[in-house]
Amino acid sequence: MFVSNAPLSGLPAQLRGTGQTAGVGFRNSEMNFYHSYASINQKLVSGVSLHYGEGEASILPSDPRLLRIPRIGVYAGSGTSHSWLWFVELFDRMLFHDLVFLTEDMVKEGVLQDLDVFVMSGGDTVRIAEGLGRQGAGELESFIRGGGLYLGSCAGAYLPLKSSKQYLDRFNFVDIKIANVSKTRPEAKRLESKAITTYGCNYVYHPVREDVRLWITGREPFTSVESLRAPLYGGPSMVTVRDSDVLAYYQGFTEKTLFLVDESLAEKTLVGKVAAARTAMGDGHLYLFGPHFEHPRFPTANHLVATAIFWDMKRETINRKSSDGEIILEGTAKKKLILDIKREISNARIVSVGLEAIPVKWIIGCKTYEPEKIRVFLEAMWKRINRLERSRRICLQSGTGEQVVAHACQVRQILREMKSRIDDHLDTQDLAVDLFNALRRLTMLFLQFYFNSFAYNLELDS
Amino acid sequence: MDYLSSNKILIVDLETGQISEDELDDELVSQKIGGVGITTSLYETYQDRDPIILGAGLLTGTLFPGSALGVISAKSPRTGHVTHSPFTLKAGMEFKYTGFDYVVIVGKSKKPVFLWLHDGVADIQDASEFWGTDVWNTTDSIRKSMGDDLIQTLVIGPAGERGSDLAQICVNYWASGDCWGFGKVFGEKNLKAVALRGMGLLEISDPEDFVDQCFEVFETIKGGAFAGKSGVEDILTAMGEKDAKEWIAPFVHRHSACYNTPYPTNTFIYLNENPKTLTEPTEQEPGFLINDVGALLTLKRAGLSAESACRVLKACAKYGIDPSAVAELSARSGQKDPDKIEQSFVDLKGTVSAPEGGKFSSWAPMQPLFADFDLSDESAYGDWWVRRQALAYLFGIHPIFANMAPELSEELMIEMFNKGTGLDLSQETLDQAIADVCL
Repeated sequence: MFVSNAPLSGLPAQLRGTGQTAGVGFRNSEMNFYHSYASINQKLVSGVSLHYGEGEASILPSDPRLLRIPRIGVYAGSGTSHSWLWFVELFDRMLFHDLVFLTEDMVKEGVLQDLDVFVMSGGDTVRIAEGLGRQGAGELESFIRGGGLYLGSCAGAYLPLKSSKQYLDRFNFVDIKIANVSKTRPEAKRLESKAITTYGCNYVYHPVREDVRLWITGREPFTSVESLRAPLYGGPSMVTVRDSDVLAYYQGFTEKTLFLVDESLAEKTLVGKVAAARTAMGDGHLYLFGPHFEHPRFPTANHLVATAIFWDMKRETINRKSSDGEIILEGTAKKKLILDIKREISNARIVSVGLEAIPVKWIIGCKTYEPEKIRVFLEAMWKRINRLERSRRICLQSGTGEQVVAHACQVRQILREMKSRIDDHLDTQDLAVDLFNALRRLTMLFLQFYFNSFAYNLELDS
Repeated sequence: MDYLSSNKILIVDLETGQISEDELDDELVSQKIGGVGITTSLYETYQDRDPIILGAGLLTGTLFPGSALGVISAKSPRTGHVTHSPFTLKAGMEFKYTGFDYVVIVGKSKKPVFLWLHDGVADIQDASEFWGTDVWNTTDSIRKSMGDDLIQTLVIGPAGERGSDLAQICVNYWASGDCWGFGKVFGEKNLKAVALRGMGLLEISDPEDFVDQCFEVFETIKGGAFAGKSGVEDILTAMGEKDAKEWIAPFVHRHSACYNTPYPTNTFIYLNENPKTLTEPTEQEPGFLINDVGALLTLKRAGLSAESACRVLKACAKYGIDPSAVAELSARSGQKDPDKIEQSFVDLKGTVSAPEGGKFSSWAPMQPLFADFDLSDESAYGDWWVRRQALAYLFGIHPIFANMAPELSEELMIEMFNKGTGLDLSQETLDQAIADVCL
């Protein structure tokens, strides 16, 4: 492993030192980030008026505006990997509860206009762009120009950058360029499928994976942190036209950094390049994060995501659509539904744990999927089932419960078929495509009703 | 019950298909501890409905050495009394993590079923396609259909389906400590198997102290009297069968231990392939796991070759019949041909000896192994064995291992109970709990 402490000429002074970093283990102060935002959200649900930078909201920069509960859309449509679940974890820890999980069709249908914030995490950028299409691009542009906040991480950061590539050329929203692109194919030291992908006539390469060190420029709203760590899993290093757009630079590497290309090329590609940027478009803003600031092991980075949400969420209050069709389940009906879901997810989880002992992987689009990724989806639901079991009531759209059970059954069936075929040494590529689509759809539906119930009970309690 | 427990007692009515749950009360644990203490209490509660109770010991599935034991309690078709049978390998541990501490099964299903316990969910599933198949095929079919090779099964074969008093509930593919005919009880209920898988967690009241103590005990115990010994053959030698090791040596492939048990009580032998092979077996069924010391000893003393004895044991496990009973009846008849012994399974009847004390399985030899436990002479073995087995069945300790580790004292068990549960167990209460289950 390479830890860069060497002086780096030509860089701002802050980029030369090791700086104080965060992200390894949770200190009390880091856990306080979650408590602070949870407290803000709880107060807001209770109807308490809060100003930025005051009282409960002293974790945020000062501003005379009043805080309000953000309505956040999480993109989980085609092309996404599993990292949107990291945003979910962040929101759950911080009690952001007004969430909408979106497919490409929902974006095209105009659901973005009901949101304050739209988050787009990792995956296959081209497939995401293809799925959203021209109509989705138009909706997204209209949302941001109308004052909405776009948070893009990894693939979500690539999406609005300048590109002439098919599908991506509809999303040329910002004047920021990709730095980790090359006309010649760099040599991969390891994990070639993750290190380099073709990009038109060029190659996008990912010099390192895992933790990197970042220097925070101190521009609003990221005024409370000087440096931090965050994990990089294929996200961009960027070059901006205006310095004023830069929130964070790549500063160096850590003992956990895994080099996929030559170390000197990694340093040249990353260090001193933009890791996080904030830029305006119309009345709205885009935040682009190369590393995954939303990753659950990095509370300080999570804190900055939450800060961005409150700071640049849509300023005008949106007219929320009425919750027609919502039903409340309690007693035996609630218990039966939760048990039906739990049964299927448990069955699926048991098979998926067994698959992890088998050396198998699938390539879908330009992404490699290992069996471990199956359980990321299943665990995201499993860990939340207890909470639904304990709550007296759950709140969901009519028919959603049956859909969740049906999708969970489908996932369980595919997994068992997959295990059987693997035992018989048969190909499972087609099943893997079906499985990850079904898992994504199931997890979306489940989390939607989890957060609806969570919001309902939160409002009821307050 | 917050600690060392899932806080759930499951009640399954096979007649109506209804499943319900009760909480495990702290008071019950304070008085009855766990394992047979509570299965006995539950038996008394549901005795009008001919229940069969599954349970785990208080320490089962923890880091405490030997904590591998699960318990089945029911009225024995062979004695007419409530008796207890151990199940080990990985099944006791797996049961503990299914999300249920105890399972009460009452009534008779109209059609063959198996009970699938997983992560706090209990499902009664159709077993029509498994009915009529042997133990090995049933376990394979259940694992295949559920998509997981780690599922543990308590399963009956044709002996249980046909109502033989000698029928045994097997564990996965192998024999168990069921010397009471519980396989017949499963069969009468049309219950082909109980399949177990759980990925739950256990909370511990004082986790740091508890875990530290487990490691300390382990360090002390591993240099004990059984150090350097392994498998059924060394147990047989300790029981006075001096040539046992030499007798079976040509077939021994490896030894294996039950969950977290420092002594490997099981010997895997190869019958259809060279046991010295270091590669994956080429045969589908290369061998067999011997875990019934008593059965092997009886067959040896009856004059069978090691290979013949092992073939008989393998046939017993597939058919789901108590190998100790088969060995005793075969020895009595003078039959030494394994094929003929296997052919006799269908009509095999006869009275076989039950252990003195009559509650706990004779699967655990009725004497100390390797260590002397400060017993004056053999006349003291009977009372010692009953109390030792009661202790093992309450706390979830492997019952054969309990007989070779004097370090696992009653004082230590009380200490682990208190650290693990946060409750306060005294020697008087332990004495009473032991007395209650030995009555």
